[in-house]
Amino acid sequence: MYGWRGKRIRFDLTKGKWEVEETPYEYRRKWLGGRGYNSEVLYNEVGPDVDPFSPNNLAMLGVGPLSGTFGPSTGRVTVTAKSPLTGGFGDSNMGGHWGAELKFAGYEQIILKGKAPKPSYIWIDDDKIEIRDASHIWGKFPRDADRIIKEELGDKDIHIVTIGPAGENLVRFACTFNDCYRAAGRTGHGAVIGSKNIKAIAVRGTGGVKIADPEKFYQITSDWRKTMRTDPMAQGLYAYGSLVLIMPCNYEMGWFPWKNLKYGYHPDARNISGEVWAKKHLKGKEGCFSCAIVCGIHSEIRDGKYAGEYTGGPEYEACVPTGPRVGIIDSNECLHGAVLTNNYGMDAIEAGASISWAMECWEKGYLTAKDTGGLELNWGDAEVVDKLLRMMAYREGFGDILAEGPTIAAKKLGVGEDCLVSTRGMSLPGDDPRGLGFGYGLSFAVGTRGGCDHLRSLCCLELSGYLYPGLNEKIVGTEACSKPLVTDGKAKMVWWEEHHKAFVDCLQVCCFNTHWSYGCRNEHLIPMLNAVTGLDFTEEECLTIGERIYNLERAYWSRQLSGKNDDVVPRRFTHEPMPENPAASSGKVLPIDEMLPDYYKLRQYEPETGFPGDKRLRELGLAYVAEELKPYREKYIAREKQKKAKKKDKE
Amino acid sequence: MSQQKVIMINADQCCGCRVCEMACSLYQEKECSPSLSRIRVVRNEAVGDSFPIGCALCTKAVCVEVCPTGANQIDPATGTGVIIEEKCVGCRACVRACPFGAAGISYKTGKAYKCNLCNGDPQCVLHCPTNCLEYAPVELTVRHRRRALADDVIAKLKGE
Repeated sequence: MYGWRGKRIRFDLTKGKWEVEETPYEYRRKWLGGRGYNSEVLYNEVGPDVDPFSPNNLAMLGVGPLSGTFGPSTGRVTVTAKSPLTGGFGDSNMGGHWGAELKFAGYEQIILKGKAPKPSYIWIDDDKIEIRDASHIWGKFPRDADRIIKEELGDKDIHIVTIGPAGENLVRFACTFNDCYRAAGRTGHGAVIGSKNIKAIAVRGTGGVKIADPEKFYQITSDWRKTMRTDPMAQGLYAYGSLVLIMPCNYEMGWFPWKNLKYGYHPDARNISGEVWAKKHLKGKEGCFSCAIVCGIHSEIRDGKYAGEYTGGPEYEACVPTGPRVGIIDSNECLHGAVLTNNYGMDAIEAGASISWAMECWEKGYLTAKDTGGLELNWGDAEVVDKLLRMMAYREGFGDILAEGPTIAAKKLGVGEDCLVSTRGMSLPGDDPRGLGFGYGLSFAVGTRGGCDHLRSLCCLELSGYLYPGLNEKIVGTEACSKPLVTDGKAKMVWWEEHHKAFVDCLQVCCFNTHWSYGCRNEHLIPMLNAVTGLDFTEEECLTIGERIYNLERAYWSRQLSGKNDDVVPRRFTHEPMPENPAASSGKVLPIDEMLPDYYKLRQYEPETGFPGDKRLRELGLAYVAEELKPYREKYIAREKQKKAKKKDKE
Repeated sequence: MSQQKVIMINADQCCGCRVCEMACSLYQEKECSPSLSRIRVVRNEAVGDSFPIGCALCTKAVCVEVCPTGANQIDPATGTGVIIEEKCVGCRACVRACPFGAAGISYKTGKAYKCNLCNGDPQCVLHCPTNCLEYAPVELTVRHRRRALADDVIAKLKGE
């Protein structure tokens, strides 16, 4: 077998047992790997009634056919579980080297079910598997757990997935790490792994990946790697990491997430720009497995109160949530926040969003010292942010309610709905679509894992107009959509990017190669896949796989009666024009209604419910899903009717 | 001797991406596997330090000295490693003796492998994204390094 190793491990943690299962050819061809495998298993095995913290939820880690090869950044892993944050479909992926190591050990996927009777970690040493006691590392920060396990197993070259204290304490947005700092941030699967009493998964793989046509694979990949040396986006990322975004984001486009994304601009944003960071905080570069870009950085604090602290990263999305989003613009304080979220093992985005939501509520008078246990939640108070991060991770005092995430917290406290910047229960990252682009805005509304979702479509085509001219013409059929703040062609762009991203996530290569920079396009990627696997994938087939996965994930939500009603963006973007600023976003709102209908048509969703269309599901080989959705459609329609009636009654 | 090229390491540039391992194993062994790579990266994730280790092209190579069958050789013309596969019995003598951990036995063939500089175009160097690896004449490179260091020290002494 070429490309794949063709095996996965199913753990029954309650019984302390596992089984190694083969993935047959038809399965591999239909679901490809990584995200595809995980989504397929989650849909089939974790139904709408399963509580995310119940032993019947699954936590899965998957890699794909290109993982652990010479291809573009092939160390990525998708982590999937039913999300404790949103109650719906949840996944996210991380870089590092663990994914490649799993492949070298001989597997594409790990499925965790049940709950270990006591804190444990898993040790996969090629074909030798063991569940070991983890009581001595329970409570440790990921990087300390990593060190202790390596010492214990007597090998510092192994790679380890870990969770932090937040995962153990069931913080609903706890994340999963590997190689100490590489986080699969979103949707809270760290807490699902914690709920299963699993602290870590250590892997040593001494095997390899067989390549069907090594000469051809080598040739294509070599040629592509040479082009990456001169790719403009790749060069920026190499020089400054993703903090390279700060300057254009703030000064040109105006989507700097200042104060819970209320504003899009701050005059001192350059304090945390990649350019300044490189001089002030950069400790060194760190590359994920087989990377051609190397955006990864390590940072340290050299002066002031937090001097001596360091961490891997932060990248843009890990830097801004506990920085500008909560009104902090000092780079030491931003970095301190990132150090803490990494140590505690929390999704920086959701953690920052929780705090910024609370701060906005405080400002508006919705929350008082009575609610917060005496804390004053003023914008920009780094002391308070420091305290709250700890209180969330250990679920102390007011932190206990913030650890539920802002959406649940708002519901429980009955305040601050208008301060939420989230969709489907998950907060948006530091990307304001009023400046970043309307395509991004559309993908926030429809993304299959809730509010993230700049990473469902990663709609960089709309930013690519001047860097990669001609690309949109080819993909969307028009160059009119090459600018961010227009609606032309955006529905098609998002639709296409969603398929493409799902396909890329199955291969588990890094989207900074395939989306952010368009250095690695399908004309490279698909020949690579064919050379590795010896098969004959076409672009059409690959995009169909992406569409199949996308629809399955959407059906997961449908089964929970979440459809058209949830395809909305926060009011902030549609009803509050961007406050005046010197950048492009000034005065803009997101015209979501101009894009949604076209998007629905392209997706062939049912116009009334927003469920995946019956016909399209069958065409995609998902007849069983089409059948299963029927009763849920009835329920959805009945519920919406009831809602309407209630609304009328009130009027 | 002044022209002899080896793989030089710019020690502070390694980012630990291990592209070198992939390029090597794929080019040399037609498979992607660190276990088949002639160059390996030692990583320390917690603090973000990495360092590549490969064949040093020893002048008096211990792997050659200890080989009981004469399979492990240095090509006198190029100064690079050669394994005569027919002679190799997979005894691991070279692996056990190499002080750099740069020799290995292929799990595919059961025979020893060692760096041969890809016939003058080392693929690990070609694909290193940070230019940590450099295929360059030893003598000239250390001259450059000495000069760079000296320039730096002199500048500091002069208070520039």
